Amino acid sequence: MKKRIVSVLVVAAMTVGMLSGCGSSEKKSSEKDENTLTVWAWDQSFNIYAMKEAEKVYQKDHPDFKLNIVETGWDDMQTQLGTIVGAGNYDKLPDICLMQDFAYQKYVTTYPDLYQDITDCGVDWSEFAEGKLAASTVDGKHYGVPFDNGAEIACYRTDILKQAGYTIDDLTDIDWNRFIEIGKDVYDKTGYSLLSVQADSSDLIYQMLQSAGFGTWTEDGKPDLAGNENIKQCIEIYEEMKDANVLNVVNSWDEYVATFTSGKTAGVINGCWILASVQTAEDQSGKWALTDMPALPGVSSATNYSNQGGSTWAITQNCKNTELAEDFLASTFAGSTELYDTILPKSGAIATWLPASESDVYNEPQEFFGGQAIYAQIADFASKTPSVDLGVYYTEANKALATAIANVSGGSSIDSELKTAQETVEFNMNQQ
Amino acid sequence: MTSKVKSTFIYIFLGIVTVVSVFPLLWMIIAATNKSVDVIAGKLTFGTYIAENYQNLIAQQPLWSSFLNSCKYTILVTAFALIVSSLAGYAFEIYRDKAKEKIYVVVLMSMMIPFVALMVPLFRMYSKLGLLNSAVGFMLPSLATPLLIMMFRTNAKAFPIDIIEAARIDGLSEFGIFLRMYIPSMKSIFAAAGVVTFMNAWNNYLWAKVIMSDNTTQTMPMLISNLISGYVTDYGMLMLAVLITTIPTAIVFFALQKYFVEGITGSVK
Repeated sequence: MKKRIVSVLVVAAMTVGMLSGCGSSEKKSSEKDENTLTVWAWDQSFNIYAMKEAEKVYQKDHPDFKLNIVETGWDDMQTQLGTIVGAGNYDKLPDICLMQDFAYQKYVTTYPDLYQDITDCGVDWSEFAEGKLAASTVDGKHYGVPFDNGAEIACYRTDILKQAGYTIDDLTDIDWNRFIEIGKDVYDKTGYSLLSVQADSSDLIYQMLQSAGFGTWTEDGKPDLAGNENIKQCIEIYEEMKDANVLNVVNSWDEYVATFTSGKTAGVINGCWILASVQTAEDQSGKWALTDMPALPGVSSATNYSNQGGSTWAITQNCKNTELAEDFLASTFAGSTELYDTILPKSGAIATWLPASESDVYNEPQEFFGGQAIYAQIADFASKTPSVDLGVYYTEANKALATAIANVSGGSSIDSELKTAQETVEFNMNQQ
Repeated sequence: MTSKVKSTFIYIFLGIVTVVSVFPLLWMIIAATNKSVDVIAGKLTFGTYIAENYQNLIAQQPLWSSFLNSCKYTILVTAFALIVSSLAGYAFEIYRDKAKEKIYVVVLMSMMIPFVALMVPLFRMYSKLGLLNSAVGFMLPSLATPLLIMMFRTNAKAFPIDIIEAARIDGLSEFGIFLRMYIPSMKSIFAAAGVVTFMNAWNNYLWAKVIMSDNTTQTMPMLISNLISGYVTDYGMLMLAVLITTIPTAIVFFALQKYFVEGITGSVK
C-alpha cells in the first residue's frame, strides 16, 4: 500500500515539474521581439508559403526581420477573433492576419477597432484591380493589402470536347444559352456533364450575377432578393442545365472535387484557386484547356468575367510596430515582382498587384493545359471583372440563396423561394 | 428450427451493424496508404503511398511535437481530473449535509451550460492570469467535471458504510480510508472515468484552439483541422494524421475495456 502512495506522490511531483516547465517556456515564446511579426494564415502550400517567401524577400534589406506564422484555418480564425474581441483582449491578436474577401466588410463594420486603417501606408492603391480593392475598402479607407486573386475561370477537357466535335474556341466568349446547347450535345455524344456543382451552395449563382455587375443588395444596404429578375434568370439557367444533365449536382465539396479529378465531368467553372485541385489529377495533364466563363444572355451589362473568393492581408489594432508591418506589406505584396515570380509557379497564387502580371513568368506555357499561358490569361480576366459590393451580410445572403436553390430544385416556385430568402436575410440582419 | 432461423437473423443484423461501424475505421487505414486522388476516387484496396504521405505530413506540419503536446495535456488532465473528481464525489456522498447538497445541485446544473457560452469569460480570465498557451490553461476548465463527480458519487453510494466505520475504529484517518479502502475497491470506476476523460481531453478542440495560439503548443485535433483548411486537401495525408491521432485512444480504450464495461454498469456488487 505504501508503494501506491509513493507512486501517487511521484506522479504528482512529476506533473508539477512538467507544469512549471510549461509556464516558463510560455513566457519565453510570448516575449515580443521588435523585429518579429506574428501572422495568421491558413494554407501551407498557398498563403503560408507566400508569406514565407515574402519574409525572405524582405530579409534581404532587413536581416533582423522575422515572421512567426501561425497556421489558423478560416473557421477557427473566426472563432478566435470573436472570442478575443468579445473578451476585449486585443493584445492576443496577431500583427497581421489573412481575411477572406467576402467577410471583410462585416468584420470592419462589426468590429470597427479590429483592423488598422492603412490608407496612408505608402502603397500605391491604383496598382491593384479595382474590383479586388472594393472588398477591403470601407468608406474610402483601405483596411488591407490584397493578396490572391479569385478571377473566374472555365476549364474544359479538350479530349472529351473533341469526341463531341468541339474545341475550346467553341466555348470561349459564349453565353449560357450556347453553353447549354453545347453541353446537351456533349452529354448525348459522350455521356459526360460539362459542369458540376455542390448542392448546398449558391456560389455559381453569385458568379453569374457578378459577371454582369449585379449584386444582392440595394443602394442603401437592404437585401435585394425578392422579385430580383437577375437572380431569377440565373436560377432558371441553373435549373435548365440541371434538367438537361449539363450540370451534375453533387452533395459535398469532396464529391465536387472528385467529379473532375477522377474524370467524371468535362469541365470546371470557379474561382482560379480551383486550379490547384484540378491539377492534382496528374494523369490528365495536357488534356485541359482554360477560357473565360459564359455570359448572361440578353443582359446589356453582361461580361465573361467574374470572381469567386480571394483574400487580403490586414494589420490588426494590436500591432505595436505598425510602421514595420506596413513597410513589410508595401514592399512585398504591394511592391515586389520578385515575390510574385517566385510564388506563382509553385503555388499558383495569382497576383492582384497589377505590375506583377507583366512579368515573364506569367507568360510561361503550362504543360498541364497543353502549353497554354494560363496565368497571363487569368490576370487579364481579373482586370476585366466587374466590381460588385458583396455587402456586410454576404454569408447570410449566400446561405439563404443556397436554400432557395435547393427548394426550387425540389419543386417550389422561384418567386416564393426568393421571397422567403429575403425574409430570412432580413431576420438575420435584425438579430445582429 | 425456429431458433436457428432466429439466430440467423440475429447474425445477419449484427453483421450489418459490424460492417457499418467498422468500415469507416478500415477505410481510414486504407486511405492512409493511398494517394489523395485515389482516395477521392473511392479506391478500396491498400496502396503503397503511406511513406510519401508520411513525408508530406512531417514536411508540412509539426507532427510529433503536436503529438507529444496532446499526450502531455491529456495525461495531465486525466490524472488531475480523476484526483479532483473522485475526492469530490466521495466527499459529497460520505460527508453529507444540507449545504453540500445545495452545492451538489449547483455542480450538476453547470452541466447544462454549453461550453461555447463560457468561452469568452474563460478566455478573459485566463488571459489576465497569463495562462494562454500553457498546459495549466488547457486543463483547468476540465478538472472538475460534473459528470465525473456524479459518477464517483453514485458509486460511493454503493460503497458499504460498515467498511468505513470499521476502518475508523481501527484508527485509519479519513484520507487514509479514501486512499486505502475506497480507491482499491473502485478500480473499474476509475478506469471508466479515466477512459472518458482521456478521450474528451484528447479530442478537445474548441478550447485548445481558443487558448493555444502558438505553433509550439498545437495539439493533434488542431493539426488535423489545419490539414483541411487549405484550398486543396490531401486526403491521403489527412487520413494518415487521423490514423495516428486515433491510435492512443484506441490503445487506452482496449487496455481498459474490461474495467470500462464494469465501471459503466456499476462496480461494487
